[in-house]
Amino acid sequence: MGAVNKDLRKRIAKIIIKAREGHIPSSFSIVDIINFLYKNILSFQKKNPNWEKRDYFVLSKGHGCAALYVVLEKFGLLKKKDLDNYSTSNGILGGHPDSTKVPFVEASTGSLGHGFPTATGIALGLKIKNKKNKVIVLLGDGECHEGSIWESANIANNLKLGNICAVIDWNGSAAQLMPQDDLANKWKAFGWNVFIANGHDDNSLKKIFKKINFKINGKPSVILAKTTKGKGVSFIEGHGKWHHKIPNIEEQNYLFEELK
Amino acid sequence: MSKKIRQEFADQMLKLGSKDKSMVVLVGDISHGILQPFAKKNKDRYYNVGICEQSIVNMAAGLSKVGLNPIVHTIAPFITERAYEQIKLDFGYQKQNINLITVGGSFDYSKLGCSHHCYTDVSLISHLKNSNIVIPGSTKEFEVLFKKIYKKKSINYFRLPEYPHGVTFSEKEIVFGRGIKIKKGSDVTIAVTGTMLKNVLEADGILKKKGISLEILYFHTIKPFDYNLVKKSVSKTKCLLSVEELSSHDGIYNQCLKSIVGINNVKNHQLAVHDFIHGYGSYDEICKTAGLSVNDILKNIKKLLNKKK
Repeated sequence: MGAVNKDLRKRIAKIIIKAREGHIPSSFSIVDIINFLYKNILSFQKKNPNWEKRDYFVLSKGHGCAALYVVLEKFGLLKKKDLDNYSTSNGILGGHPDSTKVPFVEASTGSLGHGFPTATGIALGLKIKNKKNKVIVLLGDGECHEGSIWESANIANNLKLGNICAVIDWNGSAAQLMPQDDLANKWKAFGWNVFIANGHDDNSLKKIFKKINFKINGKPSVILAKTTKGKGVSFIEGHGKWHHKIPNIEEQNYLFEELK
Repeated sequence: MSKKIRQEFADQMLKLGSKDKSMVVLVGDISHGILQPFAKKNKDRYYNVGICEQSIVNMAAGLSKVGLNPIVHTIAPFITERAYEQIKLDFGYQKQNINLITVGGSFDYSKLGCSHHCYTDVSLISHLKNSNIVIPGSTKEFEVLFKKIYKKKSINYFRLPEYPHGVTFSEKEIVFGRGIKIKKGSDVTIAVTGTMLKNVLEADGILKKKGISLEILYFHTIKPFDYNLVKKSVSKTKCLLSVEELSSHDGIYNQCLKSIVGINNVKNHQLAVHDFIHGYGSYDEICKTAGLSVNDILKNIKKLLNKKK
């Protein structure tokens, strides 16, 4: 793991610990993917969040939003002050992202299974308008329990929305609840181009994105990004009690020590 | 047979939607046949998305996000009750715009049973801050009111009754947000919406012969509600009966009560749907089961007049 992403993880931990609210393991699971997307894939204009030619990024698993906030801050799209006020009444950022307040947040998410169908609608709208903007939506493998995901997977395939790419944070959340481990076959059966990548490795993601052309009249693509929930801090990694837990002082010391 | 209100919707889509390229029609496998003229002319702006109410609502939000005007059409209970969270979060919370056009409100699908009945749609949508709610009881009302508000950046909810009430209004009489005083009277104010106007007018014909004078107020727009119209009328009659196919817990009766706050000694009663209506039959038969028949209206007016004495 490179130094940069350690910094992002530290920042995530800091804002969550200060506010005593947030999902550290889920954010650690996706922060490398979001950082990769803003660095390499998404077009945006710093001073104009509603730039007509921007690519649309929807974080469907809204509870991982601390990862999005720290990446937006890194790229100068949110201010330090915004993150310092995370989950306070003075701020615009909270435990789930609010599109009415936060620049570059295209959809308020939090209730799982909403962001993906909304991204499908955005992709359809762009296709109707013959626009070339990309639509990238990040969802959880646990979120794939929701019926609305498969409704929209079917729709996107039938409407040939090649301009959408779903990235699944495949950290095995579903497996410890109600397993649906053959995700690749499921998405294939729904008519999607399926790719498997390492969600903590820029090179792996880069190779896959080279294969996706985002044509507005093609097959939609999904990347099953293998990730580790809590990645980067050994005692937080995995499933269970850390999902929505705030580390105590001793645990904080271990956490920041590992992220040095 | 008079033209169905649903047909008027299809005709307006062809007329307005063929010109206004921002309009995109998404249907949940309903009215697919009658919408074909629009669909054929505007292939890239018509989608029969199938049976997936949650996605159809979220997708509409996505269309709105990129500057299009989604027109979503399906059956009232399946969209407003099943996909309420989607409507609430996308259009209430995030303030995207949508025109939501439903059929099958209340017991319009009278022979299909409880799964196809819906009494709560108007109430549910009313909780969302930027919502407008219209029940057009005639084709003209749909034409005028849709044209008036479909471009508004809000939730524009149109519940299309299966059975028109049978009264023809002039374009001038139909004003968004205003009730219509159908008839001046002095004994009892009747507040009515939707198809129920038909039963109210039938009851009025009978009562007229007995010398009882009803003031009939008809509401095609439920939100925003015309509080003043009710206030003025009830100030005079001191007696109010609301007649609606909506849930008794939250329909036009509540709006009427808000209207008459401060007026003393008003006798009032609500005719509405108090629970699920089990059983099957014609629309008129279900009216009887629900206590919304002409006889029920007559009986309750009599009771109110006795209380007034």
